[in-house]
Amino acid sequence: MALLELHGVDAFYGRVQALHGVTLEVDKGEIVALIGSNGAGKTTTLRTISGLMHPAKGQVIFDGQDITFTDAAKIVQLGICQSPEGRRLFARMSVLDNLLMGAYSRSDRANIARDLKHVYELFPRVEERRSQIAGTLSGGEQQMLAMGRALMARPKVVMLDEPSLGLAPILVETIFAVIKEINDEGTPVLLVEQNASKALSVAHRAYVLETGVVAKEGTGRELLESEDVQKAYLGM
Amino acid sequence: MQRLRATFAGDLGTALFSTLGLLAVGWVVILAIQSPRSLIATMVIGITDGAIYALIALGYTMVYGIIELINFAHGDVFTLGGFIALPLFAAFGIGPGAHYSLVFIPILLLVFVLVMLINGLVNITIERVAYRPLRGAPRLAPLITAIGMAFILEGTMYLWRGPVNLRFPDLISEARYTNSLIDIGVKDVMVVVVAIFLVVMLSLFINRTKLGKAMRATAQDRDAAQLMGIDINRTISATFFIGAALAGAGGLVYALYFNSIRFDLGFSAGLVAFTAAVLGGIGNIEGAALGGLLIGIIRALVDRYISASWSDVIIFAILIIVLVFRPTGLLGMRVPEK
Repeated sequence: MALLELHGVDAFYGRVQALHGVTLEVDKGEIVALIGSNGAGKTTTLRTISGLMHPAKGQVIFDGQDITFTDAAKIVQLGICQSPEGRRLFARMSVLDNLLMGAYSRSDRANIARDLKHVYELFPRVEERRSQIAGTLSGGEQQMLAMGRALMARPKVVMLDEPSLGLAPILVETIFAVIKEINDEGTPVLLVEQNASKALSVAHRAYVLETGVVAKEGTGRELLESEDVQKAYLGM
Repeated sequence: MQRLRATFAGDLGTALFSTLGLLAVGWVVILAIQSPRSLIATMVIGITDGAIYALIALGYTMVYGIIELINFAHGDVFTLGGFIALPLFAAFGIGPGAHYSLVFIPILLLVFVLVMLINGLVNITIERVAYRPLRGAPRLAPLITAIGMAFILEGTMYLWRGPVNLRFPDLISEARYTNSLIDIGVKDVMVVVVAIFLVVMLSLFINRTKLGKAMRATAQDRDAAQLMGIDINRTISATFFIGAALAGAGGLVYALYFNSIRFDLGFSAGLVAFTAAVLGGIGNIEGAALGGLLIGIIRALVDRYISASWSDVIIFAILIIVLVFRPTGLLGMRVPEK
């Protein structure tokens, strides 16, 4: 049994169905990419996992436990953390306070201090800015902070929603290098990306979502080489 | 186009505010030259009133900040603080006819703590039964509910103690310090000290503690707060608790100052405090404290130098001017966005 599993998940916004029987899994040690165009249901999938929405049908299983209808706050405590689309930082709080909010569900002070140091090692820029107000950071710095904040929960799975969106190419490289590093340290990553070629090249496995349906799945390499995917998402 | 209008309104608002501010300052300078003693006496009244408005305005602004509800019942929660204190005093053997004595001070402090606690719990209950079920509803629904809640609270206090000015024990010394320039009472000092103490405690709580930071985080981005594992029901309850505790302390301070309280006091005091919150910048805690103080001073100046019958007109004119020309208030939330 995989660490995180979705079984036949249907999700709605009001009467509009956003997900149709989505089934996917993320196992220990993996980077799993979720690619697809705008409105394909990538973010909805993450919201369903993190408990901000609950599915109308289907199941979400984490670590052998059914979390389909568990509260968002509880799910973080269980070990799923997310860096949301658009970063969603606490714009009027300091960088350090943002990071500490990431560790909100924990009370092991010594380990929090250690993880803070670790985030600073991953993102030296974040450390330089630690007493600055988060809203005044540049886009790239904000993205690093959002990822650092998610890691502060010491998650068993980290979900990253569009981490490279709107960033300069050099920063995109940095972000993807860190994603690999996080994964090498043992944290599984569920990665939602528009930058499909980048995402597929780091992912062990990937799913292609089309209008709320899993249209294709395979290893990162298989999808990179698939003609359909190349045509639709890689602009070849 | 909208942006253009916003910029225009912003510039016009700033210009208008600066002009009005300068005129007011000039007027005050003239008053100071004419009779410093009279101006200082007026300022003392303004600052004490303002401190009480600030204690109420904080609750308006915090609740708005976290769930974007203008909690019109908040003024009556303020009155409730005074009402709760009466039976507590009685329980400690202090009747409405009691007079100032040092032995009452520990009891007074205890009653302060109890009033804040009970008032906070009442407000948590109000949120739970009246506002939480409507959290997903259009914004008008909880607003109307809040107005209904205001009437329920007023009605309850009316039925409880009747439509009269209730006499309040006279527990604070009437002593005054007077010289050729200044005339200030122990009561005035008491009001200001209590308000400053509570505002400092609030600011320490909001900025230093984990729950306080979680409240700010929830106010800034509720979904993101949930993704950090913050239980937003808990932070919202805490906000209602703290708002009511401050307002309750304000109600008690008011009743001790004037030695009386009435069931419908909170209606007008609440509206004035709401204006203070808007003037300071709704959702902004420092703004509420500043707005309360300014409104108190403006009101005292108008009462003394123009006419008491004009003070409400002028205060609500300020409300309208702020809402039209500078909806973010004096210290409004200017969020840097990227």
